[in-house]
Amino acid sequence: MQTTRLLIRKRIATLFFLFIIGFFVLSGRLVWVQFVKGAELTEKAIQNRMRDIPVESKRGIIYDRNGNELAISISADSIYVIPAEVKRSGKAKEIAAKLANILEADEEDIYKRITRNSSFEWIKRQVEPEKSQKIRELDLPGVGMTEESRRYYPKGTLASHILGISGIDNTGLEGIDQYYNDLVGGTKGRIIIEHDAANRPIPEATHKYIAPVDGANLILTIDETIQYIAERELDKMFKERNAKSAAAIVMDPATGEILAMASRPTFDPNHYNDYPASNRRNFAINDVYEPGSTMKITTASMALEEKVITPESHLFCPGQVKVGKESIGCSGDKAHGDQTFTKVVENSCNVGFVKVGLEVGVDTYFKYINSFGFGQKTGIDLPGEATGILVNQKNAKQIDLATMSMGQANAVTPIQLVTAVSVIANGGNLVKPHMVKQVIDNEGIVIKKNEPQIVRRVISEETAKTLAGILEGVVSNGTGKNAYIEGYKVAGKTGTAQKVAPTGGYMASEYVASFLGFAPADNPKLACIVVVDAPQGYPYYGGWVAAPPFREILKDSLRYLEVPAHELKDQTKDSIEQVLVPDVVNLPLAEAISTINNRGLNVKVSGTGNIVWQQTPKPQTKINRGSQVIISLSPFAAGEQNSEVTVPDLQGKSMKEVAKILSDLGLHLLPEGYGLAYEQTPEAGKVITSGSSIKVKFQPVGE
Amino acid sequence: MELKRLKLVDKSFVIILLLIIGFGLVILDSATNGLSSDPDYYIKKQLMNMMIGLILAVMVIFFDYTQFRRYSNIIYIVSLLLLLSVLFFGEEAKGSARAISLAGLPSIQPAEFVKVFIILAFADFLIKRQDRLKTFQQLIPCFIYMGLPVILILLQPDLGTALVFVAITIIMLYIAGADAKLLTRLIALGVLIIALMLFLHFQFGMWLPLEDYQLKRLTVFVNPYEDGQGGRGLGWNTIQSLVAIGSGGLSGKGLFAGTQVQLNFLPEHHTDFIYAVIGEELGFIGGALLIICYGILLARAVYISFHARDLYGSLIIMGILAMWLFHIFENIGMSIGLMPITGIPLPFVSYGGSAMMANLIAVGIILSINVRGKGLIF
Repeated sequence: MQTTRLLIRKRIATLFFLFIIGFFVLSGRLVWVQFVKGAELTEKAIQNRMRDIPVESKRGIIYDRNGNELAISISADSIYVIPAEVKRSGKAKEIAAKLANILEADEEDIYKRITRNSSFEWIKRQVEPEKSQKIRELDLPGVGMTEESRRYYPKGTLASHILGISGIDNTGLEGIDQYYNDLVGGTKGRIIIEHDAANRPIPEATHKYIAPVDGANLILTIDETIQYIAERELDKMFKERNAKSAAAIVMDPATGEILAMASRPTFDPNHYNDYPASNRRNFAINDVYEPGSTMKITTASMALEEKVITPESHLFCPGQVKVGKESIGCSGDKAHGDQTFTKVVENSCNVGFVKVGLEVGVDTYFKYINSFGFGQKTGIDLPGEATGILVNQKNAKQIDLATMSMGQANAVTPIQLVTAVSVIANGGNLVKPHMVKQVIDNEGIVIKKNEPQIVRRVISEETAKTLAGILEGVVSNGTGKNAYIEGYKVAGKTGTAQKVAPTGGYMASEYVASFLGFAPADNPKLACIVVVDAPQGYPYYGGWVAAPPFREILKDSLRYLEVPAHELKDQTKDSIEQVLVPDVVNLPLAEAISTINNRGLNVKVSGTGNIVWQQTPKPQTKINRGSQVIISLSPFAAGEQNSEVTVPDLQGKSMKEVAKILSDLGLHLLPEGYGLAYEQTPEAGKVITSGSSIKVKFQPVGE
Repeated sequence: MELKRLKLVDKSFVIILLLIIGFGLVILDSATNGLSSDPDYYIKKQLMNMMIGLILAVMVIFFDYTQFRRYSNIIYIVSLLLLLSVLFFGEEAKGSARAISLAGLPSIQPAEFVKVFIILAFADFLIKRQDRLKTFQQLIPCFIYMGLPVILILLQPDLGTALVFVAITIIMLYIAGADAKLLTRLIALGVLIIALMLFLHFQFGMWLPLEDYQLKRLTVFVNPYEDGQGGRGLGWNTIQSLVAIGSGGLSGKGLFAGTQVQLNFLPEHHTDFIYAVIGEELGFIGGALLIICYGILLARAVYISFHARDLYGSLIIMGILAMWLFHIFENIGMSIGLMPITGIPLPFVSYGGSAMMANLIAVGIILSINVRGKGLIF
């Protein structure tokens, strides 16, 4: 018995020892859970009970280079529900009916959504202020609203392809809004509400408001006026010739700044759903085509740079040339006969270029077109730029070299071509085209700056000068006569390319007409390309279809930029003659300029915009021929006949409505706050000049 | 029994026990906040259960525990009948029937009492066979004796309580002098068989007497996010419990301030997961304090067992100890992700009348052994 007793005691002690170990294991695990994993689990506890309601930031404003607003953000309320709360109220049916009534939506659908098994449901995003006000007044259980902003484009279709579109959740979907989304979009804010396990918000619990950070503002290189001119001219031609698509780009050849970029067909980004999606393709950068003769500028550049040829070298054109088994002819197989290289360029002689190209050789040819930036993206700050397709250098035969030399076989984009012509315009450097000059934050601090960037030297300054002279000849003597602008030296090259059929081979009756050039030829300020895809009717040549809009764009733009024109020889004699000043108020800029010029007067433009709203001297005044007429511009098309308008009553209107009303009257909106308009200066009823600014204060409804 | 014997009561044991009960009532007050329209409903009920339990305990102290031996067979048979009655008249809740209610009285969970009764009966059973515990054949009657109630409990089904019986059986056999090597081998064999069966089940789809979801419930604690629903299914309880304890930190969020508890993320927080409430609201300090209290309580019980007058007393105490220990390890273990989730309460802390009363009766038995210990004989 004693031994048993001892045994039992020993065993009790053993067990006790095991228990102690067990307790240590428990405590150890407790330490691990509470201290090692503590922070992580604390975070989880917070996530458990916090529901986020996003508060959208306001997208930054997009300005043109002179500070004109191209895209702004306006605020609107978005309606959401917290289904758990709706269900708890037991009035889901009633709530659905009321919401459906106000929002003019399907009651069944709303009922489904407000009773869904989720913590948060949008009912309708960005509703009209009157509707959100009504809903707010009803104070329905579980129904809330948060302010969201959406893009508004006060200029409608102007520069639509550049500006792009942005979606309902405040992200840039296309265009510059997409490319710079991270900067323009800002940072979302949040409303955090504490909830229990059954998803009910806790009354008087943690409600935290984290304010959104509004997006930064973009200052584009675009000049609204030049953009307007380019769009106007492109439109005119596009409608006249019923083309499939068209594009125009105006660039500063020295810096690579894009001053205007327009594509057709176009769309209004405010209502982009009303247009086919294909209208949103930015032909200027998104699409490739076989350029034809405009590409000959590269062949000429390399031939001159490599000294394969001089401008005075003689070449004979019998109308056709045989390359291997194939033969290549000039337009209509017309023989140009004996001609200098200068003439070859002026006549856009295919035979001449094929001969020069074969002389240059495949490797050199590819070295230069690569150097000119073909087959690569230019790096412009817009989404979806096309690369272009070059003939594979390894497989390139003589016939390929021949067709490439005259501009077929390779596919390029308009932006690549205008960048290439800028090389000749700026003395031999490839520059990087860009769209955004500066990014500034809400305090006006510059957070990003795009400096002009030289990618590489392509040709010598001398070659560039020589070629510029030859290209000037194209306009003054050759195929580009329609691009001639009185008072300015214009250099350019026409292009009429056959289109590749989807089935292979070239199409018989569809062409791409283009004109590529710069001005003034001796001191280039602007480089420009106009491309027209499949113009209807005859003639379809670049010199007839693309050169006129090219001329109009450059003419108006050069004058707008006050680039000094050459003295016209026979004008000085008649300068004593007195003429009547024409009435140009309310005319579009280009029309006003040509009207004044026709009377033998010079124009000085002040302000920005595209409509004249004031002129000095007054109409019908007699002044000396050659004197100056100063015209002031307003960027808005004035609806009224005279330049004076009555200030409308804006009380209670949304920012979108206000912007529309004011822009129709040619008035500027200086908004303050968000919500509905409640105060304005000047007051309604006052008569002011069109183009003035109206300061409007907005305030959110119900606060 | 002379009253002076009461002076021999182990005061540390009683004080630490009262501390644990008090601690339990405080935390229960916070854990049941908002569960009922009467904020004091649960606490009142628990207090009443405790009072009844204390009265029963005092009555048991005055009863000479050696007298239990006379009624061993009756106790055993009554226990089995109680368990059977649950199977026939039990009230089903959450997939298993554990409680019965007798004419008008509040419902009770017989298994809680049966645990204590069986310990009494099994202690007597073992003493009678004290010298016949050396071979496997000799152990078989013990297994049958304990196996019957285990089967009845498994039929409820209540795996957690069944496992408590397994723990009690092993520890009492060990104390009663069963061959240690044999016991170790049997335990090792059992673990091996279970592991092999699980392996065969998962690898080759061998049939197991468990539904897949039951099995999953037992294994999910290892990785609670892998419950097929990203932590919103069977893993939910473990995750919420870990989050509660983990977010408590050193000193906790304070009573009534634990978000996991008060916002109902933590399920069953006044019963099975009461320890997570302690961890969240009172932090590591509260959680560790309770573990230390239990440690002291059990150490005192071991001490009493050491000085029991006879083997019968020692065996009973070690049986009760095994029961409490298993409850404590399993309950705290599942709260901190160390054990699978089986709903067994934390002694003296979890809400529940039967458990509280049964445990206090067990306290009464321990003290009855205590006051009749060696101190008086020699």
